[in-house]
Amino acid sequence: MLYLSQAIGRPVRDQLGEAIGTVADLIVAIGDRYPPVTGLVVKTNGREIFLHWQSVAGLDGTGATLSTTAIDISRFQQRPNEIRLKLDLMDRQIVDIDGRKVVRVNDLRLDEVEGALHLVAVDVGPSGLLRRLGVEGPWRTIAHGLRREVPERYIDWEDVDPVERTIASVKLRVPHRGLAELLPADLATIIDQLSRDDRVGLIRSLDDEAAADAIGEMEPEAQVDILEDLEPARAADILEEMDPDEAADLVADLSEESREEILGLMEKDEADEVQELMTYGEETAGGIMTTEFVAVPANLTAAQTIDKLRELEPNAETIYYVYVTDSDERLVGVLSLRDLIVAKPNTRISTFMYDEPVAVRTDADQEEVTEVVARYNLLAVPVVDGEGRLEGIVTVDDAMDTLLPQPSRHHLLRLFGRGPGASDR
Amino acid sequence: MKAPSLALAPRTVNRVRLAAILGVLGPGLVSGFADNDAGGITTYSVAGVRFGYQLLWVLLATQIALFFTQEVGARLGLATGQGLTGLVRERFGVRWVFFLTLALLVANVGSIVAEFAGTAAALSLFGVAPPLSAAVAAFVVVWLLTRGSFSRVQYLFVAIGIGVSLAYFASALMARPDWGQAAVSFVPSGSLSGAYWLAVVATVGTTITPWGQAFIQSYCADKRLGPEDLVGERLDVGLGALLTNLIAGFIVVACAAGLYSQGVTVDTADSGAVAEIAKALTPLAGEAATVLFAVGLLAASFLGLGVVPLTSAYAACEAFGWETGVDWRWREAPAFYGLLVFFIAFAGFFVLIPGLPLVEVMFLAQVVNALLLPFVLVFVMLLASDRRLMGPLASGRILQAIGWAVTVLLIALSLVLAWAWVFGAA
Repeated sequence: MLYLSQAIGRPVRDQLGEAIGTVADLIVAIGDRYPPVTGLVVKTNGREIFLHWQSVAGLDGTGATLSTTAIDISRFQQRPNEIRLKLDLMDRQIVDIDGRKVVRVNDLRLDEVEGALHLVAVDVGPSGLLRRLGVEGPWRTIAHGLRREVPERYIDWEDVDPVERTIASVKLRVPHRGLAELLPADLATIIDQLSRDDRVGLIRSLDDEAAADAIGEMEPEAQVDILEDLEPARAADILEEMDPDEAADLVADLSEESREEILGLMEKDEADEVQELMTYGEETAGGIMTTEFVAVPANLTAAQTIDKLRELEPNAETIYYVYVTDSDERLVGVLSLRDLIVAKPNTRISTFMYDEPVAVRTDADQEEVTEVVARYNLLAVPVVDGEGRLEGIVTVDDAMDTLLPQPSRHHLLRLFGRGPGASDR
Repeated sequence: MKAPSLALAPRTVNRVRLAAILGVLGPGLVSGFADNDAGGITTYSVAGVRFGYQLLWVLLATQIALFFTQEVGARLGLATGQGLTGLVRERFGVRWVFFLTLALLVANVGSIVAEFAGTAAALSLFGVAPPLSAAVAAFVVVWLLTRGSFSRVQYLFVAIGIGVSLAYFASALMARPDWGQAAVSFVPSGSLSGAYWLAVVATVGTTITPWGQAFIQSYCADKRLGPEDLVGERLDVGLGALLTNLIAGFIVVACAAGLYSQGVTVDTADSGAVAEIAKALTPLAGEAATVLFAVGLLAASFLGLGVVPLTSAYAACEAFGWETGVDWRWREAPAFYGLLVFFIAFAGFFVLIPGLPLVEVMFLAQVVNALLLPFVLVFVMLLASDRRLMGPLASGRILQAIGWAVTVLLIALSLVLAWAWVFGAA
């Protein structure tokens, strides 16, 4: 562990122990999760020279030692992906996602990661300030005497995104609350504004579920870009978290090789489901349906059915209807959640289910589906194949998608309580 | 060297529309008017009473210096969108900003105490007890700053400033001054006595202040003005400097005509002396002069009570990187508003301490301000000529030369004041 402020101004010695100057700055290559140190700026005789990290044998709070005696004194040229820690980052303003000022960079923390020195965190706590003032040691002694802690606060470099880089100030994108806590639609907005590289970086930093939610809210082209840029295994993990119908649409848009690679890396069940959904025309009931629905045999009682629901923990969008199928998976009835709850626990569902359910065929036109949903005022309509077997359902939000111009879609999802934001706000 | 930075915006000059200029107006005016705060008014009054018209040339010179220092501050704000302490931290590191911010906060507490003393003095003319007036003033200012939106607060400041100038204009007219003698005094003159030079130092020191310098920059940044507003902002600063010194001139003229010519003498600028000045105007201009003087002093103190704590809050928040600005709601910039209230309350409690020598506190504040000003100006001049930071708005050779000349002059005056304080010449 080394703080930048501990290294700056310390002597630089060559292989023979001769002091040749002082540490003026460190250079890191950004782009990686934890940017590796790639060079050292040495101040010697009033000018700055650049040393490759290969020629540095060690760097700590006492200074730097070089592994060479011969130094290249050519002028330092900064490459585009490189930043100087002291000049470009130290003391800079940190802003959160809304552009609101949060704090300044008090210090930068470097750690050995896999044998190389990397920038790992931004020190934003009081201890960093005290260190910069040169009173951290005495202060700690006093605080210790008073049985108080000196607060330390860091921001993981992973959560930092130097997107806005101007000469005047490097602004870091640090979420106030932590990115993963943001609502998917908010995330999608941020991600849409980032460049392609930054987008992938941001998605990488999220867990699978949050990433799936965020991708789900994005525009189709952006979705494809991101999935193709991600490592295939990670893309597969994220797809597994998405609704199968969404995943199928997305996978269908991928290039053929990445599609096969990603599907191969997914769990078999999920991959099969996605592949099946993909066989339907995009504009048909089969194309927009989801295979996540609840189907039970007719001989269950109301109580048993409710137990089954508890066990399955269906999504918000699929819980409203319970479909009743026979032994051949043919659709024979439907129950609303309300029916189930008001029925006496021991009644068989076959006695109160609606036994002439409205359904559409997998090859039904999308507009027809919309019409059915609207006419019967349904929250979801079942989709059956030629033999009447239940294949999936089209939920009202997916059905309505066809009616609306793209931008207002998210809005409607919220209205129907499907957007995860609806319950949180 | 053929391109002085004053010629920076020749293309835009013609195209700047009136509305754009009006939109920019504010920082320079507010900062200028605020320089004529309680301390300013008492200092000018004492100068007029003691030396008649002799100090008018100092006001003119101060106006010019004020324009150039405020112009640099505004330019820094426009080019970087940051306040002074933020820039000092980025450029010179934590130790310097720690020293600068701490000194600025200490000096500002003294200045806020002086503003409270000013409101107390003004309201005492209407028979209000000092503790009550301090409490009421603190409450009103906190309410205005935390409840009002940015633009409303700003117009309030400017309106108060105009009110002040009208009050003093009226005061000066009512005192029936000798305009001919006043005009002659714009040619530098005066004695070499220590008291005269101390008055010169005090006059300059109350107009060009560390907080005024920090304020204009933070305010420009807070208004989100950018490089494209340079022309309008220069006009704003120029207008602010001009009006500030017109008002100061009227005060000096009013006091010179009303009191100096009558042989009235006043000691140091304590709150009793302020009342004395106002009362001394009564025989000449009647009851109205006293009321106008009191209202003017009250308004000026209020403006200072708003601006100086704002400067403190800006400075501290910018040093740490916390969100600043009166546009935010309390919840969105808690540190900023918390500090704002803290500084007002802290200085307010000072005033309430029974038996605290307010005059000494005010004078000490002036000394701390005078000692701090050189550092502030050196930081400002160094930052403003940094091309990497300022881009095309960096000071050119001519502005650099003027800036450093003003800085050196002001440093010399600050040293005079410090020397006087150490050896008790005041």
